[in-house]
This record gives sequence, structure tokens and C-alpha cells, in this order.
Amino acid sequence: MAEHHAAAVATHGGGGGHATVKTYINVAIVLAIITAVEVASLYVPGVPGSVLVISLLAMSAVKFFLVVGFFMHLRYDHPIMRALFVGPLIIAIAIILAVMALFSAFVLLPRVVL
Amino acid sequence: MATQAAFMPGSKVETETFWGTVWSWLTTVDHKRIGILYGSSAFIFFLVGGIEALIMRLQLARPDNTLVGPERFNELFTMHGTTMIFLAVMPLSAAFFNYMIPLMIGARDVAFPRLNALSYWIFLSGALFLNSSWLFGLAPDGGWFGYANLTSAQFSPRHTIDFWMLGLQILGVSSMLAGFNFLVTIINMRAPGMTLMRMPVFIWMSFVTQFLLVLAFPAITVALILLMFDRFFGTLFYAPAAGGDPLLWQHLFWIFGHPEVYILILPAMGIVSEVLPTFSRKPLFGAPVVIYSGIMIGFFGFGVWSHHMFSVGMGPVADAAFSISTMLIAVPTGVKILNWIGTLWGGSIRFRTPLYFSLGFIAMFTMGGLSGVMHASPPVDLQQTDTYFVVAHFHYVLFGGSIFGLFSGIYYWWPKITGKLLDERLGLWHFWTMMLGFNMTFFPQHYLGLIGMPRRIYTYAPDLGWNFWNLISTIGSFLIAVSLLFFIANVIKTRRSGAVAGNDPWDARTLEWAIPSPPPVYNFARLPQVQDRDDFWLQKYGDGHGGAPRPKGSPVTAAEIAAIHMPPTSYWPLLLAIALAVMVSGLMISMVQVAIGGVLTLVLMYKFAMELHRPPGGHGH
Amino acid sequence: MADHAAAHAVHDPNIGNTGLDNRKVGMWAFLGSDCMFFGSLIGTYLAYKGKSISGPLPHEVFDIPLTSYSAALLLASSLTMVLALAALQENRVKTAARWLFVTAMLGLHFVLNQVYEFTTFVLHHGLTLSTSLFGSSFFVLTGFHGAHVTGGVIWLLMLVTLAMRGKLDARDYTKVEIAGLYWHFVDIVWIAIFTVIYLIP
Repeated sequence: MAEHHAAAVATHGGGGGHATVKTYINVAIVLAIITAVEVASLYVPGVPGSVLVISLLAMSAVKFFLVVGFFMHLRYDHPIMRALFVGPLIIAIAIILAVMALFSAFVLLPRVVL
Repeated sequence: MATQAAFMPGSKVETETFWGTVWSWLTTVDHKRIGILYGSSAFIFFLVGGIEALIMRLQLARPDNTLVGPERFNELFTMHGTTMIFLAVMPLSAAFFNYMIPLMIGARDVAFPRLNALSYWIFLSGALFLNSSWLFGLAPDGGWFGYANLTSAQFSPRHTIDFWMLGLQILGVSSMLAGFNFLVTIINMRAPGMTLMRMPVFIWMSFVTQFLLVLAFPAITVALILLMFDRFFGTLFYAPAAGGDPLLWQHLFWIFGHPEVYILILPAMGIVSEVLPTFSRKPLFGAPVVIYSGIMIGFFGFGVWSHHMFSVGMGPVADAAFSISTMLIAVPTGVKILNWIGTLWGGSIRFRTPLYFSLGFIAMFTMGGLSGVMHASPPVDLQQTDTYFVVAHFHYVLFGGSIFGLFSGIYYWWPKITGKLLDERLGLWHFWTMMLGFNMTFFPQHYLGLIGMPRRIYTYAPDLGWNFWNLISTIGSFLIAVSLLFFIANVIKTRRSGAVAGNDPWDARTLEWAIPSPPPVYNFARLPQVQDRDDFWLQKYGDGHGGAPRPKGSPVTAAEIAAIHMPPTSYWPLLLAIALAVMVSGLMISMVQVAIGGVLTLVLMYKFAMELHRPPGGHGH
Repeated sequence: MADHAAAHAVHDPNIGNTGLDNRKVGMWAFLGSDCMFFGSLIGTYLAYKGKSISGPLPHEVFDIPLTSYSAALLLASSLTMVLALAALQENRVKTAARWLFVTAMLGLHFVLNQVYEFTTFVLHHGLTLSTSLFGSSFFVLTGFHGAHVTGGVIWLLMLVTLAMRGKLDARDYTKVEIAGLYWHFVDIVWIAIFTVIYLIP
């Protein structure tokens, strides 16, 4: 009976395509490496602030999308799930940037006097 | 412990005794009953908000009046606004979401029926919590938008603001839970063949509204959390002395507040988009365009919020940016209005009460939109903001728009919900008295605003030239009250002697009219197979290009009906809502109560989740 | 067997006509909404960054090594979470329960690290909720994230308990899957917070 259920689950539990345990472990290793590089970059002397900020943001973005795409399975899921998450994410980021601008919080870009 | 036995169609368990009936309503998970609960509660709070308005209008009818003093007046305008928005218009829209969405998409219920019930009971507890403040003499008095730092512990030391702040948090939870529920329902539970573009426009507008709900409420949740931490725990978010900025509140509030006004209007626009085609016997003109416009309004509605803040000194760049985005968002709205007119044009029009209210919606909402576009210009807005001109604008869109649209829906769907038609004559008396009273109340306020009358003042001097139109406005407000008496009389009269509606009294176009009025608990004996937009119309009349009406299909058998499984009643939603209210209200009383309420909430969440997990008797989900 | 699976899928009230599970769609919608919640909190933090008029500064109090360790804990817990799911899919319930327990413990460790961090800030650096804008915005933002993690830990431990009592197996894959989605979300929010608050100068 449990095999029936497991089979049933396998047909509709995973969506289209599937990551394997090996993939997960590889992703985890990449995440660990990126985190190490991020932390280490703080201690590298002589890096201009803007370069540091951009590279940190880029590295975190990669980590973010690795977790979302593989661990959260979004890469293999129905486009509806992607839309449900990415749309709000874009709106949230846009609002963070707008609030930062409205409060003159940008140190990276030339200061926009609002 | 098992909850109530499954309510199977045909069982008489619930109606045998009075308390049995009460219990069945307290534990219902049926979307139709929950819709009726929302609608009835919303109407009662609409009357409460209306009385608050009438008292204000009585006070303002004459200069130097002494009916109520300034503090009481602050409470009245705060509660009137909060009540009308959160306890009247939103739950009235929710009533239609609840009752109509499953019917119009060909489903038997929403995706999460118990969560649906939970949303209602949390709403009711929030509404009662908020209004209990009157009983304690602590009605909120900081305006419905609660600007910082008037709301700080320093300037509002009494619990008035706490009632408002905590009440809104409770109501926010209710709205968001419902938003998730309807999102999943619309995405996942449409009848076979109903693609997204074949959904009725009311469903589309509701769909966009649910997105707005779940994306806008987090912003006000954060704004209120920051306020709560400032008031209770000494943080400095809105404290100027420590470098905090009261504008942070305004930004967070309006990031919520602007999508909120679209939450308030889109359902009514959806209703109008159903009523006009039915009473013109024509499909909605340019339905895809109306849908895309609704989507654009929802999305870009997140980009206009600071047009509520043109007078706070954001600077020319911010002013210009939000001014442009605000003017742009008028475009899709205007497109919709043209499409509604295009629907009527060349149609075979039957004038019935629902149509009158929809026509009133178009006219009044357009007027409100015009004054809104005027505000979109910062220099013009500097004259208009904080005056009665703005009061006139938003009442034209919220009352002339949302309320008229919602009444259109009430008259339209009343026969489906109750099985009886409302009386046409009383309906027309309601409509015309309300039109007259509404315009008498709010049109003069444009003028009053432009000649300098500010908002939120409890009285005014006699030599400013404001006396006459304030008096007219007050008389108009009482006419509105009279119009509602016609509606109430109509409801009472037709309860007994109303004409039987039958399945399809309006010869309409969408799926809900294919089933009996009122619908059986399972809605559809056999789930429909949808082939097009306005599928029911095509079933009846064919496609108008020579295609014949669809053959009816074999009659439904008793065995088919017996095989339908509807979810059983449950008392966990009610209990969980009470626990949540205990926890939140404890923030004003004692942390012990918060702790007890919190533990109770966690335990009840667990019971709620476990109710359907491996129940005794097999059927596990 | 395929017929039985198909019949089971058709009968399952959680699966809609799209073939998707209601609960999974609902969880993704909730996570989208939670993006706005944390977005508002992060926006607040960034709006006030550098504007405190007194009190210790961020770089004076942040313990980057400890926080990096915490970040690694959460990333590891995401891995153990997917391993739990993979085991559950094959109905290896005991293995799944063990991985779920490890995930919960990693999360608990994270929370305890945060408690330690908060205590250090208050007692050693004199930084509290009411000290400055930095104090207010930091504690509220990371505090709410920590509360989300705590909620997740409780949820995971409940799943472990159910599994130990024989009340969880491959049939409950979706229920555990949505717990996993929530857990990973909490992890990615930390990725954002860690970078934007701790790392970026």
C-alpha cells in the first residue's frame, strides 16, 4: 500500500524534472564556497567600496537563486509557482530601492538630491 | 476528537433546533454561508459608519455648532473612515468573493474551506475589538491613516491608538488569509476548460485584488509593527529627536494605502463588468482589454503612493516621478470606462435596479476620477490637499464608485443567494434617493474645499461663506440614510412575499446562473465543462454565428449526487480566532495574557492542522 | 498501479485541474507576500542606515565570524532539508525524520547564536531597541527573522514527532515539502540580511 502511495507521490509530488541528491550536495558546496569568498572579501585590502558592494550583492544574488532554483525546486516547477514568487520579489526590491532613494540612502550612486 | 459529522446534502441535522442552527453557522465551512456572514456583518458596520458620518454632518450643518466637541469629532472621523474601509467596503467585497468565486469558476468550494471560515471569524473579532473602544471611551482619534508622530506614546498616551493599531493588525491577518485562499482557488480550482482568459471579468478583477491584498498588507503590517514597538518597547522609528522620520510611517502606510484603494474599487469594477453585459444582452466590449487594464492598474498601483504626500516636502524629483506615474495610471482606468460604455452601445437594454446602480457607478466614478487626476499635479494638489476637495474626490470614488458598484452586485445576485427577487419599485426608490442624496452631500464639498474649508475640523466660523453648502451637504447625508431605509424595507418585504427567482431570472451569461437559486450545498451536481467565455450564454443560445445551443446532456443521477463529498463543519476556526484576539488584545493589558493567548494560539493552530491528518475512519489527506 | 495512482490523484481534493497541489501554490503565494514583509523591514533599515545620532556603530558591534558561522548553519540546514524530502519520497521515514531533526537543530543553533549576539549587544555594547535608529531597526529586522526561524523549528519538530509516532510517511510528501519551502525561504532572507546588513560597509 505504501508503495502505491509512493508511486502516486512520485507522479505528482515532484513536478516536471527532478534534482538528484548529488545535485543538492553540489549546490551546497557551491554555496559554502561563495559564502567563504564573501566573508574573505571583507578582509582584502584596497578594494574600492563600490566594487565591494557590487560584488557582494552579485554573490548573494547567485546564492539566493541557487537556493530558490534547486532547493526550492523552482527551476523544475510549473511556471505559475515562479510567477507567484518572482513578481512579488521584483515589487519588493523596487520598493526597497525607492524607499532608499526617498531617504537619500544611496552611497554607491551619486547622491540624488530629492 | 472528531468534529461535527459531515454535512451531507439532504441531511436535516442542522435545522432541527435553534441552537443547532446557531452552531451550524458558527462551524460552517461552506463558502456560501461565509459569504452571507461577511455580507451581513459588513452591512451592519456600514450602518455604524453611516451613523458616525451623520453625527459629523449634524455638527457641521451650522457654524460654531456644539453638538460634539473636537475630541469626539476626531474619534468620529477616525472611526468613520476606518469602519467604512475595513469593516464595510472590504468585507462587502469579501462577501461576493466568497459567494461568487467558486460558483463563477465552476467549483464546489474554495481551496481551503476552514481557512476561509477562519478569515471571517478573525475579521469579526477584529471588528468587535476595534469598536469595543467606544465602550471604554477610548475610540481611536488619530485619523484612519494614523500619521506619526501624533500616534506616538508621547502625543497619544491613552490606549486609543492601540485599539486602532492592534485592530488593524487583526483585520490584516484576516484579509491576507482570505487573499491566499482565493488566489489558490482561482489558480487551481477552475472547472475543466476554463482557461484564465475564459474566466469572467469579475473573477479577473477579484484575482488582481487578491494579489494586491497579499502584497500590500505586509507594508502596513510593518508600519504598525514599528509603531507598536515605538509605543510599547521604546524604539525610535518615528522619533524625530533620535533622528527618526515621521515620513517613514507615511511612506510605509501609503505603500499599503494606495494599492488598498484599488482593492476597494476593483471588485466593484468587476461587478459592473458582469451587470452591464447581462442587461445589455451583449458581451463585455473588449473583455481582454478590460482584463489587461485591471492587471496594469494592480501592478502600477504600487508605483504611485507618494501622491498622497505631495505637501510634505519630498522635493521636485520625487514629486515629478510620482506625478507622472499617477497620471499614467489614469489611462487603463479610462480605457475601462470606455469599454463599459461600448458594452451598452447598441445593446438591447433592460432597465432594472442592478443596471441603474452600475450606470450610477460609471457616472460617479468618472467624476471622482476627474478630481483625482487633478490631484495628480503637485502644484494643484497643494491647494486641494487636506481640504474638502479631497474629501469630495474620495467619496465620489469610494461611495459613488465602490458602494454603488456593490449595491449593483447586491441587487444582481440577491435572487441567486436567496431564491427571491428584490422589489423593483423599492429598488428604484433606493437608487434615485441615494443618487440625489449622495450628490447633494458630496458635490458641494468640491466647492467648499476650493474656497478653503480644511478637512477634519469640528466647526467653523460663521463669516467664511461656508454655511450654506455645509447645510446642503448635511441634508444630503440624511437623504442617503432615507435611501437605505428603502433597501432595508425591500429586504424585509421580499423575505416573505418576494417573487421566486428561479435559476436565471436575468437571462445572464455566467455559470452561477446555471444552477438553482439558492444553490445546493455542493453548487454543481456535475462540474461544468467550459468551452468559452460567457459559457452559460453560449449553452443557451449558441455562438451567434450559426452554432446551435449546446445539447443538455444526460440528467444528473442520485448516485452522482450521493458521491459528492463536501467538507465537514469545524469549530477550530472559531476557537483559533478567539485565541488570536485574546493574544493581541493582551498587548494592551498584560504580557501574561499575551503569553497565554500565544500558547493557546499555537496549540489551536496545531489542532487545526491535525484535524484532517489521519482522521479515524480512513479518508486521510 | 498507474491506474490506481491516477485515480488517487483525481480523487485527491488537494490537486486542482492544473495538476498542482493547492497547498504548494498557497505556500508560494505566502512566500511572495513575505518578500514584501521583509522588503519593508529591510527598506526601513537601509533608510535609517548611517542616520543614528548616537550609540555604537554597526561595525563596532558586528561579529562577522560568528554571523558567518550562523549563515553557514542555515545553508547547511537547507541541504539537510532537501535530503529529508528525498528520503521521504522513497518512504524511508526514519531517515527522513533524522534529517528533519538535524535541520531543526541547525535552525535552533542559529537562533541560539542570535540570542547570544543580542545579549552581547545589550550587555557589552549598550545597544538596545531604544538606543538609536540602528538599535531599533537592527533588532526588529533580525528579531522578526529569528522569530520566523523559531516558527520553522517548531514546525519541523512537530513533523519529526509525527514521524516517530508513525503518523508521517510518503503520503505526506507535500506537507513536508511546503515546510521545506518555508524553511528555504527563511534561509534566503538570511542571505539577503547577512549581505546587506552585516557585510556591506
